[in-house]
Amino acid sequence: MHTPHRFRLAWRLLLRDWRAGELRILFAALVIAVGATSAIGFFTDRLQQAMAGQSAELLGADLILQSPRPVAAAWIAQAESLGLRRDEVLTFPSMVMHGPGMQLAGIKAVGAHYPLRGALRISDTPYGEERNAEGSPPPGEAWVEARLLPLLDMAVGDSLSLGDRELKVTRLIAFEPGNGGNLAALAPRVLISRADVEAAGILGPGSRVTLHYLFAGEADALVRYKAWLTPQLEPSHRLIDVREGRPTVGAALERAERYLGLASLAAVLLAGVAIAMGARRYSERHFDVSAMLRCLGASQGDILALYLPQLLLLGLLGSGLGVVLGAAAQGGLFLLLQELLPARLPPPGPLPALLGLLTGLVVLAGFALPPILRLRQVPALRVLRRELTPLPLRAWLVYGAALGAMTLLMGRYTGSATLTLSVLGGAAAALLLLAVLAWLLLRASRGLRHGAGVAWRYGLNNLWRRPWSGAGQILAFGLTLMAMALIALLRNDLLSTWQSQLPERAPNHFVVNVLPDEVARFEEFLRRQNIESAQLYPLVRGRLSAVNGVPVEQVLAPGDDGGGAVNRELNLTWSDTLQEDNAIVAGRWWTAQDAGQPLISLEAKLAERLGAGLGDTLRFTFGGSELEAQVASLRTVKWDSFRPNFFVIFPPGVLDAQPATWMTSLYAAPSQRAAMAQMARDFPAVTVIDLERLMAQVRRIMEQVTLAVEYVLIFVLLAGFAVLYAALQASLDERLYEGALLRTLGASRYQLRAGHLAEYALLGALAGVFAAAGSELIAWQLYTRVFQLEYAFKWPLWLLLPPIGALLIGAAGYWGTRRVVQRSPLVVLRTL
Amino acid sequence: MTGTIVTAEAVGKQVDIHGGSLTILQDVSFTVAAGESLAIVGVSGSGKSTLIGLLAGLDLPSSGRITLAGEELNALDEDGRARLRGQKVGFVFQTFQLLPGLTALENVMLPLELAGHADAAARAGQLMQRVGLEQRLDHYPKQLSGGEQQRVAIARAFATHPAVLFADEPTGNLDARTGGRIIDLLFELNAEQGTTLILVTHDDKLAGRCGRRLHLDAGRVVADEQSQ
Repeated sequence: MHTPHRFRLAWRLLLRDWRAGELRILFAALVIAVGATSAIGFFTDRLQQAMAGQSAELLGADLILQSPRPVAAAWIAQAESLGLRRDEVLTFPSMVMHGPGMQLAGIKAVGAHYPLRGALRISDTPYGEERNAEGSPPPGEAWVEARLLPLLDMAVGDSLSLGDRELKVTRLIAFEPGNGGNLAALAPRVLISRADVEAAGILGPGSRVTLHYLFAGEADALVRYKAWLTPQLEPSHRLIDVREGRPTVGAALERAERYLGLASLAAVLLAGVAIAMGARRYSERHFDVSAMLRCLGASQGDILALYLPQLLLLGLLGSGLGVVLGAAAQGGLFLLLQELLPARLPPPGPLPALLGLLTGLVVLAGFALPPILRLRQVPALRVLRRELTPLPLRAWLVYGAALGAMTLLMGRYTGSATLTLSVLGGAAAALLLLAVLAWLLLRASRGLRHGAGVAWRYGLNNLWRRPWSGAGQILAFGLTLMAMALIALLRNDLLSTWQSQLPERAPNHFVVNVLPDEVARFEEFLRRQNIESAQLYPLVRGRLSAVNGVPVEQVLAPGDDGGGAVNRELNLTWSDTLQEDNAIVAGRWWTAQDAGQPLISLEAKLAERLGAGLGDTLRFTFGGSELEAQVASLRTVKWDSFRPNFFVIFPPGVLDAQPATWMTSLYAAPSQRAAMAQMARDFPAVTVIDLERLMAQVRRIMEQVTLAVEYVLIFVLLAGFAVLYAALQASLDERLYEGALLRTLGASRYQLRAGHLAEYALLGALAGVFAAAGSELIAWQLYTRVFQLEYAFKWPLWLLLPPIGALLIGAAGYWGTRRVVQRSPLVVLRTL
Repeated sequence: MTGTIVTAEAVGKQVDIHGGSLTILQDVSFTVAAGESLAIVGVSGSGKSTLIGLLAGLDLPSSGRITLAGEELNALDEDGRARLRGQKVGFVFQTFQLLPGLTALENVMLPLELAGHADAAARAGQLMQRVGLEQRLDHYPKQLSGGEQQRVAIARAFATHPAVLFADEPTGNLDARTGGRIIDLLFELNAEQGTTLILVTHDDKLAGRCGRRLHLDAGRVVADEQSQ
């Protein structure tokens, strides 16, 4: 056949099939699949951007480069050439004075553009009403933390002196981007204009000044700049982006991404099943046409040339529509959730749309192509002998390729090989389990036949007679239920993990700089004021300088700063008890006999980076003195617990010679603000760091993630319904024919309906068992290997899923087969 | 057209069933001259449909040789036989076998398009007129009566001027009156185009219209008789 003829004929057949409704299932499944995945893609894309933006607000920039010295001009020029906005901030400690009072303060000198992201929050009176600041302090003014006022016995409107410069205190800082929960900033903050720094004449050679280069701009410009800059960094430089900047926010983001990735996997997998079923039905309904075409002289190539363009066109149209639907769906969601989401959201990028199209084509190729390829092998003799069907395909080859493509796609979606492999592993295990289940079903229904009434016998016979169709449907329904269960499970568990991570009365203040002779009085104060606090920990500042005698810079991989633990002073502590959320992973925690021994307990990840294990020796430098200590245990630490946490812990009695201050975290209810003010007056040296704002931000991020998760659940359900519909359609022809025959033979509508109900309820119950087993298996993998959560046997799955399956699939099957009794038997027998 | 158009030499067909082998045709030999009309008759299960399938190249014999329009079928692969069918063979079936997705006219156009005819629509239109369905061009098969569907199928079968027309119980699904008209039409077109006609039937009236009758019983030719 000539090519133009082929395409014309292909197009005509496609149109006719479309009008006759032959393609609706396939097309609908594809649209739902691509709609779901690309909605998730768009949503995740924007949410990630939004979440990154919010974290940037905490940071005050998208990217910060810290350096003890000015950096090369070329670095700045490169940032500017990439179109990044920037500002420079200097921080240094300095004494500030008011009248007779003197206080060490953390000076922060900012440029006119500070902050690049987010806003300074200020108030006019201590702990008074807050508002966003417009800009930053003008020259001649100082904005200070409220806790500085009692220390210097001054009020807003007074002046303080910094070096040679008199600065008028005009505002109080309530929240300062770039300082959220940063323990390095112990001294009260004084925010001034950079122009005042030179005038004050306080910075000379050797000053302990840190330069912060703040950058903000388009995501890919930032990525490029980061990639350009990273190889040139020196050990003293530190590059902080949204992820690394704040461990709490970073962990939440990472979990959110993984979770949404997993949900999109479930949707892709389900869609594949629906499409495979639709394509199979389509293919089977075209056996006759193919046989006739072969009979009329069409070659195998002609048959392919007829159906492949149809498939491609269908794929492009369906995927395109799916992408449009996905875009609309995510837009609708953002509209609905306006209240909870940042006011300005970045528009979705083009990548999710491309990925959506690609997903559609890959899924179609993987799942619809094999049955369509079968059409080519329909024997021409079928025109005389209708029972002839083409040879089954070499399923391993074709589905193996599909599986490979899906793996790639999933990998692209999740960005995690572990996640992809564990889901695929679960699917493979589920398939094995399915084979056993199908076999058991055969046995069970054979036994049940004798005891059951005629309607049930008819229904169960349907399963027994079509074991492969039954097995296919158990797989489909089981997968749907499994996805639902898995998502519900993870969602609840993930949320409860998050909730327990942020309990109602989580610490909301850090208190540092409690002087040694004030510790007892401070504890007494907390008791009297009824303020809950963690244990008080001594804080000793020291540097990690060598591992087994090798300088630490040589131990670390190039560019690794040991998670910030190495190139700056470490907060060291001692304790005789292990923090409750820390866990020993190697070695042992000390006993009373170890007091005074040069031992340490080292945080496990830092140990890994340092290549240090049990028995290795670490050297610490304290001002002039040095100390070597042996690693006695490795610990895991929950950095996002808002409790005091340490990389290195000594036993009591080792660090006694070093100067120490004490710290803790505490929870102060809103009604205890007065007590906090009293604390500032009673303990002038103590620094209180308010975490509430930081935590509020984190809570908001988690709320958004929760909503996103629920939204994604809806799409997975939709994909599941597509599977259900496709499965019902797949067996409808046969059912129509049989139903008509049975009714001709005298079966009542009631008997037929009861039979259908029995069949689908049993199918649903079995799918429920299948789903429970599959979810258990996958959840176990995910919990232990991906999310590192505790796993316990999920018995409610086994109780709930079978009845839910029976109810859901029974009802859907009952509804979906209603045509079997609605159509006149005569019409059915004549058309089939 | 003169000479031999179909030759069957010692044709046998066995199929494997449940591990054993079932013989459907055994040692069937005959020739059909161009322009002849041959009815293959016999009881159900005598092997008629299997034989017509083999003659048309829809399947290959287990033993023996079949030559169709000068080509040895065993020597051709599946696509080669499809090409031969497209060029030389027409079919009419008991169940009509029209493509449900195509209109009556498009069904008739189909073999012409497959063979690459540029004027498929015009030629199909003429044939539809010839079978008296010029008012039904845009109807779908399910909108047509059984007799009308079979007329469309006949138009389709003659569309490519086949050398041989195979018909499998062409009147089997039709009432006697309609069947009679279909037979008339079949023989009229056969005469007009000088086509060789090979058909399988139970219908004595139809068999009687053919110039020659081949009687099958249990897979063997038991009689080969010419009409008077």
